Amino acid sequence: MIKTFRHIQSALEETPHLLRLGQLFSETVLIEVDGNEYYLTFEKGHLSEVVEGPSRKTPWRFALRTDTEALRKFWEACPDPGFHDIFGLVKIGRGRIDGDILSLVKNLRFMKEVLTLARATKELAA
Amino acid sequence: MSIEPITGRYMTVKIGGTSRRIYFEEAGQGRPVLCLHTAGADTRQWRHLMNDSEVTASNRLIAFDMPWHGKSLPPEGFETQEYLLTTEAYIETVLAVTEELGLERPLLAGCSMGGRIALQLAASHADRFSGFIAIEASDFQPAWYDIDWFHRPDAHGGEMGAALVSANISPYAPNAERWNTLWMFMQSGPGVFRGDLSFYTRDDSLIPRLPTIDTSKTPVHIIVGAYDLTCTPEDAERTAKAIPGATLAVMDELGHFPMSEHPAGFRPYFIEALGRMPSYTAEAA
Repeated sequence: MIKTFRHIQSALEETPHLLRLGQLFSETVLIEVDGNEYYLTFEKGHLSEVVEGPSRKTPWRFALRTDTEALRKFWEACPDPGFHDIFGLVKIGRGRIDGDILSLVKNLRFMKEVLTLARATKELAA
Repeated sequence: MSIEPITGRYMTVKIGGTSRRIYFEEAGQGRPVLCLHTAGADTRQWRHLMNDSEVTASNRLIAFDMPWHGKSLPPEGFETQEYLLTTEAYIETVLAVTEELGLERPLLAGCSMGGRIALQLAASHADRFSGFIAIEASDFQPAWYDIDWFHRPDAHGGEMGAALVSANISPYAPNAERWNTLWMFMQSGPGVFRGDLSFYTRDDSLIPRLPTIDTSKTPVHIIVGAYDLTCTPEDAERTAKAIPGATLAVMDELGHFPMSEHPAGFRPYFIEALGRMPSYTAEAA
């Protein structure tokens, strides 16, 4: 999983429109997968750091909690209904979003597109 | 051909005792089909079908921008009003447009909140229409989001709304049409999407009216996309079951804005729906 997030980190650097969209976004986001924590720290749109937990000391703005199989499906090129969007994961009971959700919504296009940067390289999700 | 057959004009109608300048487009000839857009959008959602010569050869497609939407103006004094769409105002608007255009019992085709009001009209004013095509339509859904997110002084409601509703677009949708669909939400006026959602997510008055719809006089056909998170196939199926005689089609590869997000994928379902409606010549006779 950490490999996939590092792929997203490098892919983001190759995606100018996302760096532009995220230029006001400097927050840490927690992605929890089967209870394993991954802290993604953004600085002005760049994913500056990906740190694996567990950590009780790392503050985060909002979190997406899901499972490995759901993310594997989310990162398929053409996901099944519900697995095609982070809110879809929530709707079908395979994900939970908590924390400062308004912060997520204000940066929703950016966050959605960042998380789908792994979609074309689903083999990395294994 | 670079010039499309769609023409656009304006009308002024009285709604709620005040004048509203409403923009409408039309294309085709024959059976009138009045088309209603979704929340937070406008008539452009229907342009692919209005440019489809096979559809317009025998169907006169007419779509209008609801007040506050697209090129229809909000009412005078809007700057101090909170826009909150109601079932009553929506019904009054559709009937006023139908009357102003002189449409004799048109088919009514609506998507999302347009589908919801189509079912309301099927229950309350069936005599004014010849049939109902309710797309991504259901009895009621409470919001799975906070509608107040979409009207704030510190963020762009249109951009947030577009990012949210992208969850309802199928991954099979062509990328260009996905973004053309989202652009309408990005352009939506401040508070308009929120005001539409207020109607869509808070008014459950349709539920007890569904069994009263008489499909032997005016057929009801519901169409739903599998990728629609807002009106899911389960929601549409529940709704169809509550209307005696209603029919349902599930589109495996489409979402909440089928005529806009994936025109080619939606086309056969819309043509099938038209085929389920009373023929125009029979109606005229």
